[in-house]
Amino acid sequence: MVAALLLALALCGAEKPKLWSLQPVVKPPVPAGYANPIDAFLGVRHKEKGLTPAGPADKLTLLRRLTFDLTGLPPTPAQQDAFLADDSPQAYESLAGRLLADPQHGVRWARHWLDVLRYADLDGLDGSVMPAAPGIYLWRDWMIHALNNDLPYDQFVRAQIVGNRHRALTSMSATGRRGRVEANPEDQFALGFLARAALTRNNRDQDIAIAAVETISSAFLGLTVACAKCHDHRYDPISQKDYYAMKALFDPLVLRKVVLAGPAEIRANGHAMEEYRRQMEPIEAEIETVVASYRDKLYDERVGMLPPAVQAIVRKPARQRSVAEQKIADDYFPVLRIDPPKIKEIMPKDEIARYDELLKKQRGPKRPPELTAHWVVEESPVLLNAKSYVLTSGDPMRPEKDNPVEPGFPLKPADVDFRDGRREGFVDWLTAPENPLFARVAVNRIWQWHFGEPLHRTPSDFGTLGGKPANQPLLDYLAAEFAAHDYSMKWLHNLILTSDAYKRSSRADAKNMEIDPSNTYLWRFRLQRLEAEPLWDSILLSSGDLDFTLGGKSFQTVNADSKQSIFLPRDGTFENRTNRRGAYMARGYIPSTDVMAHFLDSFDVDDGRTPCPLRTSTVTAPQSLFLMNDAMVEKASARLADLALRDASNDLKGAVDAAFRRTIGRAPSPVERDRGLSYVENDAARLKGLAWMLYNLDEFLFVR
Amino acid sequence: MPTRRETLVRLANGFLGTAMGALWADDGKMPGARLAGEPKARSVIYIFLCGGLSHIDTFDPKDNKFAGTMMDAIGFGDNNAPMKRPVIPILRTFKRYGQSGIPVSDWFPHIGQTIDEFAVVRSMHCHQTNHFPAVIEHTTGKSIRQFEHPCFGSWVTYALGTTNKNLPAFVNIGRPSSPVQLSGGYIGVSYSATPFQPGDTPIPNLMPPPGAARVERDRQMEALAALNQKFRADYVFDSEIAARMKAYELAGNMMRTAPSIVDFENEPKSVKDLYGIGVKETDDFGRQLLLARRLAQNGVRFIQLCHAGGGNGAWDAHGDMKTHEPLCRSVDQPIAGLVRDLKQQGMLDNTLVVLTSEFGRTPWSQNTTGRDHNARGFSTLLAGGGVKGGVVEGSTDEVGYKALESPHYISDLQATILRQMGLDHKKMDFHVNGRAFHLIEEGTGPITAIL
Repeated sequence: MVAALLLALALCGAEKPKLWSLQPVVKPPVPAGYANPIDAFLGVRHKEKGLTPAGPADKLTLLRRLTFDLTGLPPTPAQQDAFLADDSPQAYESLAGRLLADPQHGVRWARHWLDVLRYADLDGLDGSVMPAAPGIYLWRDWMIHALNNDLPYDQFVRAQIVGNRHRALTSMSATGRRGRVEANPEDQFALGFLARAALTRNNRDQDIAIAAVETISSAFLGLTVACAKCHDHRYDPISQKDYYAMKALFDPLVLRKVVLAGPAEIRANGHAMEEYRRQMEPIEAEIETVVASYRDKLYDERVGMLPPAVQAIVRKPARQRSVAEQKIADDYFPVLRIDPPKIKEIMPKDEIARYDELLKKQRGPKRPPELTAHWVVEESPVLLNAKSYVLTSGDPMRPEKDNPVEPGFPLKPADVDFRDGRREGFVDWLTAPENPLFARVAVNRIWQWHFGEPLHRTPSDFGTLGGKPANQPLLDYLAAEFAAHDYSMKWLHNLILTSDAYKRSSRADAKNMEIDPSNTYLWRFRLQRLEAEPLWDSILLSSGDLDFTLGGKSFQTVNADSKQSIFLPRDGTFENRTNRRGAYMARGYIPSTDVMAHFLDSFDVDDGRTPCPLRTSTVTAPQSLFLMNDAMVEKASARLADLALRDASNDLKGAVDAAFRRTIGRAPSPVERDRGLSYVENDAARLKGLAWMLYNLDEFLFVR
Repeated sequence: MPTRRETLVRLANGFLGTAMGALWADDGKMPGARLAGEPKARSVIYIFLCGGLSHIDTFDPKDNKFAGTMMDAIGFGDNNAPMKRPVIPILRTFKRYGQSGIPVSDWFPHIGQTIDEFAVVRSMHCHQTNHFPAVIEHTTGKSIRQFEHPCFGSWVTYALGTTNKNLPAFVNIGRPSSPVQLSGGYIGVSYSATPFQPGDTPIPNLMPPPGAARVERDRQMEALAALNQKFRADYVFDSEIAARMKAYELAGNMMRTAPSIVDFENEPKSVKDLYGIGVKETDDFGRQLLLARRLAQNGVRFIQLCHAGGGNGAWDAHGDMKTHEPLCRSVDQPIAGLVRDLKQQGMLDNTLVVLTSEFGRTPWSQNTTGRDHNARGFSTLLAGGGVKGGVVEGSTDEVGYKALESPHYISDLQATILRQMGLDHKKMDFHVNGRAFHLIEEGTGPITAIL
């Protein structure tokens, strides 16, 4: 009976209440009585639930919280002094403004977005190769600059999907001639987002379209479209056809290598290449005369072993083979390949010596280095005319020929047109203020990165399974205002940072804990464990060793454990100054070598193969082992002790204070100072031991 | 009667177990998957020969009547095109060993002498024909890794937990073919394998770097605890802070315990000799296996050894089968030594030893004296942990290409191990975003013929 009723309800689709996140964003009225609308929306809930919000955090706690949040760095003693000294009413706001204007702000916030957009320096689970790897850091650097310049969020997204932040593609001259508007040249780097997905497998660049669908839908729409790859979505209004329609937007994309060099450099490289060929040619010709007869003999023997039909195909000149015949010839290639050792087996001794000598000579000329390049995507005219199909189980080898799809996407209105291009048509809809998901998903992420927890618990799932946000009026207010403020992320940061909610103490009390133990209603600020990158940066900065250079190739650390550490095959192609910011530490995943530093793994950083909307935050023994025993902490302890002593002109008491201030952003309490001094025992050499303790302090690893 | 404050603290610390993961002693997260009765095996020592051991040159003898003829074959690696390929002769001699009389080739004389302890499954098969996909299939039980499927060792430790709070529950020794073999995937990073190795640094950062004041550490830890006091009191409701205290405790325990595990000083020479320690060819792997035995002795659940890994793996003998010879020599005596040692320590009954590769090798060659990848038939050996010794299960066809009698998909091996560890292979499920993922999706279940 009940089952029959449920079935009837399920069949009666129109009766289903529409998903909250698909309703238009309507800006709710702001409850009265609060300076900041965020506090107004939260305050209503506090009253409803009987919660008493925690009081404001002290100045230095706020300084440390804000500096980590906006730049990923701890506040220096000079910054502490300056903020304490500024007792004007605008002290906090001008601090926030300064930090938002700091070039290091982009480094911190790009890392958040790159997690969601699956940045990786290397990828290739099954032995496939990521062609865009050598230039992929340029996408990361583009993002750093975009965030620093407060590129509006809609343009930020648009640039990464179409390579052009501007909506207008053409303009009209005074005489009525329509011309194409050139994209901002730097936006070509934004296409690294789509180019990064290409993996070369079986001599083909694959995965661009599938990765684009799955990353874009989860990152910017908060929809788990990926679930519809093999079947219609079980919970949300996304059909399998929608998945492949969206994939068809990106099906025509192919990779293109863009060389980044001026004419003189290109010419010089061309000449060097020519010179290299000139040196190689005679050597190769000589090798050919030495091996030809033996190789051909072996080859004929091998061919002779094949079935007659295959022999006939292999013996045909390549141009006369049909496509099917060429496939067979290719399949047999490994069988017919003759390697030098085989040739040597049948070669007379004196000729072997000569052959070896030539092989050695062949290794002599040095190939000129590759010019700097990066990779973009573009529509291939051939593929633009190809039909797209639903793929069985997402397998590119199994298109359902009776199930073709037109370019489209889930929730597509009838009036979307693709005259300006498929991606352009999609991105116009995606970034339009009418899109109910676009701003909601973005403000929720930005909120999460400030508070350590999103307003809507599942930042990449605004569908049925994600449930409803605890405070939808607040989310909707922020979404509406974000759009109304031209999607300025810095505007949104500022609104959030100046709320009382952001400035609250992180300490819990028993009464509130009883009502809302998980702090759903934000009655306190959440205590946050430092993520891997700010931890890395803190150790380096506090010991005066941080290199602030903005951008550049990623670096790799050497694992302490030399037997199990494996290095990138092309060592030296990465800039390996390991005292740069943690955001530049290589990440990724290939089967044959470790790409990720043990440090990143143990502090919960993903490898960038799948979008990571929310980092897990574990507390584990390997993390403690790192902080206790890694050579980096040992070195930093020694440096910090020296710096603290220097700061205090060799006064031990002052040095203890300085060490506290450099690491945890505040001077020690009298009790702490005494404990520090009693450990140091009037011996400056023991300051290093104290420094080590500070790096292992809970307060060092947590942001209050 | 706990005070309200205590109750609240306990409530807040409810997430502690999650934060600590498998590194902390626990009873396992899948009580519902436990089989009734006492499990046969407490630990697994899982030896993985990276690249593909040739079954027909070692544990699955075939006569050479097809040598030199062309057979219906498939291409190499990812190329599964049908084609004719020449069968190459097997140059090994086989000898029947022990009471069971199971034949073993001259590449494994030591294992031969202990063959009565082993069950030889000659009818294993999988789908993937190239290394990385096959290794992933082997470790996750899925032929395509569309999701972040965890490796088998993570499943086992997640399900069973560990009794030892001084050591990680899941340990990997040696370089794997693929990092997926160590990955906790969607189960979580805390269920990933902890790399371990013989020598002075068994775990990354286990010991203070040279120059650090080792003797000073105890004093520092004491002073550190005092300095943490106020913060910890302020954040008594935050489970992460409580977890951190435990993390340092475990780290300290590991620092004390792990060096003694890798210190073989007190092992008698007779034991070291069993493993071939001190002999050039066998020293390396012998030490790794002795370490494995010592870890099992100390309650580590899942000890995975990857031999000759990195890239395709050195067992990948395309060019010449002779490249197997030194590899066989380096593992033969240590593996036999491990089984003998476990037996004399009284541990063989509750320690399951597994010897396998991602796939076997083909009867034919590319154009060389080596063999290609063979996913359709290969051999896996098991010993101890309640597995019958001296038995052969299944067979391949007369050239050794395809599994013929009692074929076992690789999930059957996992199901067998789970059964011996006291777990129901049908209940190994993990829920992600409302979707259930099953460890075992194919095959016929545990290989009961060898149990």
